[in-house]
Amino acid sequence: MSPCDSLRRLVSPYLDGELLGEDRADFEAHVQSCAACRASLEQERAVVRAVQASLPLYQAPAALRERVAELARRPADAQAPPAGGRRYGRVRLGGVALAAAALLALAFGGALLQRGPRAASPSRPAGAFASLAVDTHLRHARGQLPLEVRSELPAEVSGFFDGRVPFHLTLPAYPVGPGERKPYRLVGGRLVAFQDDYAAYVAYQMEERPISLLVTSSERVRPEGGEAVVQGGLTFHIESVSGLKVITWTDKGLTYALASDLAVTGSRSCMVCHGSAEERRKFEGL
Amino acid sequence: MERAEARPAETGDEAFRRAAVACLDGLYGFALALARDRRVAEDLVQETYARAFAAARRPQPGENLRGWLFTILGNTWKNERKRRRPEPVADVESLARSRLEDPEAALDRRELRERLRTALAELPDAFREVVVLRCVEGFSYQEVASIVGCPAGTVMSRLARARALLRHSLGAIRARRPGRVEA
Repeated sequence: MSPCDSLRRLVSPYLDGELLGEDRADFEAHVQSCAACRASLEQERAVVRAVQASLPLYQAPAALRERVAELARRPADAQAPPAGGRRYGRVRLGGVALAAAALLALAFGGALLQRGPRAASPSRPAGAFASLAVDTHLRHARGQLPLEVRSELPAEVSGFFDGRVPFHLTLPAYPVGPGERKPYRLVGGRLVAFQDDYAAYVAYQMEERPISLLVTSSERVRPEGGEAVVQGGLTFHIESVSGLKVITWTDKGLTYALASDLAVTGSRSCMVCHGSAEERRKFEGL
Repeated sequence: MERAEARPAETGDEAFRRAAVACLDGLYGFALALARDRRVAEDLVQETYARAFAAARRPQPGENLRGWLFTILGNTWKNERKRRRPEPVADVESLARSRLEDPEAALDRRELRERLRTALAELPDAFREVVVLRCVEGFSYQEVASIVGCPAGTVMSRLARARALLRHSLGAIRARRPGRVEA
């Protein structure tokens, strides 16, 4: 088997962000020097992009949405499927047993995953939420994390999160002054699993560099570590994780993590929410 | 300062149910990939939620709620298939035509979506399953392996093969319909 045969099997894991460390570097070095493998990579990348460009592929019909909402309102001991449902008869294994089996199956694979296997190990321990922000940022930057809503309109992206996360997220529009160009662009958002709930992930672009904002209402998250900077009555924790700059802070029951690469200064990334000149002064030191 | 604000706190049960319901579209897409029939897919999703809400043991904080729901759906389908005779006739049209109610989407995006649905519908079952879980739902190989019940290496090889078939299929559809947008 030629080196190309074995390396070409790594195209999928490479594109999916499952190839890490030395293996990833070796693969990239080979692709640089081998036109045939490069062509394979580009062909498969085109398919991945086509899938991503067509998302979301499916949306549950309104009638099903209503039936599920009705189930969600029932107490746990009254969970027979509502009338009109179940066209394929009874299932042998009890629902409860099956749910427990699913939990066991995931305990093995899932537990490993909570730490975000795709993120390179941070040089020092980062908080779980900061790590998730970095992992999410990197996956999105590599094109491995499809967005569920794509829009430059803050209201559309905010609207997507309504009812999907336990808080209301209002993304402000940047106040553009005369002759001024908006320094960043809203790209879209998606839900990201965090603990037993969802965090809101919002993607921005600033000068072609991605900036990620992650928001959770979990009370178990405490921003910590890194350099603590107090500004405007809030404590911001600024740290470098896997070569990215991450700022975490808590305000009014919500915890935020803002991730960007080191070339974007922290204070510039804050502009995505605080665009006015007056507000910008509040975080000049970050 | 206009910004995110917290709503009144939910109970653990309410949070669990809301987080579960937020997975609806993804579960429906996975159910369609497995069942290839809209009506069966709807029932499969409904059954999944009934089981999840009745479960005595739910994913604990830090465990993977989304993966758990997809695993319940996958297991429900496997049991159902064992019971069901004969195998359901593949409803390619239903899978391909289950479109989003999205009249304002750009034409090229709609067409790409339509082509992709057709191409997905034509994939062998085992391949379609991993493509939907990985490429559409964004699960990692290990999570896909847990949900499907196969080794992660198998996920990797099925994905590679599936994408090769998709590429071929998307190309063939393009060839059949000249003048359509490129992928």
